[in-house]
Amino acid sequence: MFEILRYGIYGGSISLILIGLYAALTKRSLIKIIIGLSIVNGGIHLLLITIGYVKNGTAPIFSPGFENAAERMVDPVPQALVLTAIVIGFAVTAVALSLIIRLYRHHHTLEIDEIKNLKW
Amino acid sequence: MVGSPVLLIAIPLLAAFMIPLLGMIWKELVRIVPGLVLAYMMISSASMLMYVTNNGTIIETLSGWEAPWGINLVFSPLTAFLTTLMTFMGFIVWLYSYRFKRNVDFEPAKKYFIFLMMLVAGAVGIVITGDIFNQFVFIEITGISAYALTAFYTGRNSAEASFKYLLMGSLSASSLLIAIAIIYSQLGTLNMADIADKIHLMPAGYKVTALIFFMMGIGIEAEIFPLNGWAPDAYTEAPGPIGAAFAGIVVKAGVYAMVRMVFTLFDVSGTMEVLLIIGLITLIIAETAAVRQDKLKRMLAYSSIGQMGLVFVAFGIGTLEGVYAALFLMLNHAIIKPLLFLSGSQLVFNSKEKLIKEVNGLGKYMPYTSILFALGAFAIVGLPPFAGFWSKLSVLTAAANEGMLLIIALILIVSVIEIVYYFRVVNRIYFFEKAEDVIPQKPRINAVIAMSILGAIILLIGFNPDVVSTYLHNASADLMDTQQYIKNVFSVGQSLTK
Repeated sequence: MFEILRYGIYGGSISLILIGLYAALTKRSLIKIIIGLSIVNGGIHLLLITIGYVKNGTAPIFSPGFENAAERMVDPVPQALVLTAIVIGFAVTAVALSLIIRLYRHHHTLEIDEIKNLKW
Repeated sequence: MVGSPVLLIAIPLLAAFMIPLLGMIWKELVRIVPGLVLAYMMISSASMLMYVTNNGTIIETLSGWEAPWGINLVFSPLTAFLTTLMTFMGFIVWLYSYRFKRNVDFEPAKKYFIFLMMLVAGAVGIVITGDIFNQFVFIEITGISAYALTAFYTGRNSAEASFKYLLMGSLSASSLLIAIAIIYSQLGTLNMADIADKIHLMPAGYKVTALIFFMMGIGIEAEIFPLNGWAPDAYTEAPGPIGAAFAGIVVKAGVYAMVRMVFTLFDVSGTMEVLLIIGLITLIIAETAAVRQDKLKRMLAYSSIGQMGLVFVAFGIGTLEGVYAALFLMLNHAIIKPLLFLSGSQLVFNSKEKLIKEVNGLGKYMPYTSILFALGAFAIVGLPPFAGFWSKLSVLTAAANEGMLLIIALILIVSVIEIVYYFRVVNRIYFFEKAEDVIPQKPRINAVIAMSILGAIILLIGFNPDVVSTYLHNASADLMDTQQYIKNVFSVGQSLTK
């Protein structure tokens, strides 16, 4: 039962990544592209958390009543990675949104087709 | 030995966030402090390079957590060499842009120097860290400061170039994170030496998938073929010295991350061939695109991509000689291309469109800048008395020793293309008549000093290539010897437990 759930979460995180990629690559609005990127990041964070999860796990802290719980402890490293990755994703999104504000001031539109001045 | 590897990351980051506070005390500190910090970094890493050359690798364990668990910094002959090169280029960029925008505003200078410090700190971090997740964080630090610097001018196109760079950058960062997730799920470690030690335990399918995601993640900074769409726009729209910083600092860090991964982390067979083919495609496409450009900086950007392709061709040969040639190319490109960017952006300083035809006849009006640009152009195409000749020659001999005659032919053909578009510009500078509406720009004294230092180094390496060959030999031996890398990293952990 747990294995099915686990694969379900893997599948869910991979489909989140794919949905985000679809949005980032096909949508024409700058804001929607950034939303797509955030969804990709969310999917990856879920994937990382799932890797470290243990059935009936506890927090990785040796506290009274949990002295011998080392085997049941959830791997803390992916959680640390995800925390860092969330902060980085936040910073990138903030920079992207500030760039979008500037692009909007210049072009008065958010459609990517109407903005392209530079050749790809 | 002065300082330690961790200070090379900590001090510029601290300085970056102190700059706004220091600016409140005295506005001039905003310009002076980055120079002091970069000078310290340059001297410190040069002295550590000397130490490493004589005494072997420095491994620094952060906050007492030993190798497989904690983060460690690896200051080996290769990373020491690259760090010295990058901090030196950071200093040159600072020197060039010291009086930059002085008469305009205090605010832009403050932001400019904050992001320059973060860019250097991130790039140095990418090179000296021994942990893949740490490397991801530094790639993002470098990336975010590079996006911000690309959008430095509030003109119409710079925000767009920056947005394009950001889109590609964050997608590839996501793929890097996926690669890290795959590796962690299979091996349970993030330490590079530990991964290199255990990689044979990983099933081949996972290994190839992780490698592909890694290449997609790092290739953006290394400007390899399908991922370099950002480069021409970013180089064109960013300020001139920032173009120099991209070519001299960011791209070098990206290439290092790429080859460390291919040579040390993964043992997938056929990766060298992939590197070679990617390099060739990058080289040919970029150089043929460079001929068609009518904007000076855009042409230089395509040339920069092409040079990176050549570096990957040299790495892809896969022998010690090939690696030596590739590192020599990286060194030369890191010195020559910034010179071209700095002098080129002086040549088109007062022009709005930055077109190549606007440099017509400037040789008479800006003699010193023109000579330096011509020197850079001659050096990068590989004319004999200059630095570029020796690196190109070593690529060709490395390929010849492996019997790769087709590659030699392709490199020579591409060199001819390169000569065509560089000499076209030099020809315009000296033998055309100046247009009426072009205003020559007199370069400031600090810019002249910065460019002269680069020119002097090109001549020094050109006439006496032996000055760098010891360091290059050590660095290439370091990259090829995976077992020694693993042993170095783990020897520190064992000595602590005893």
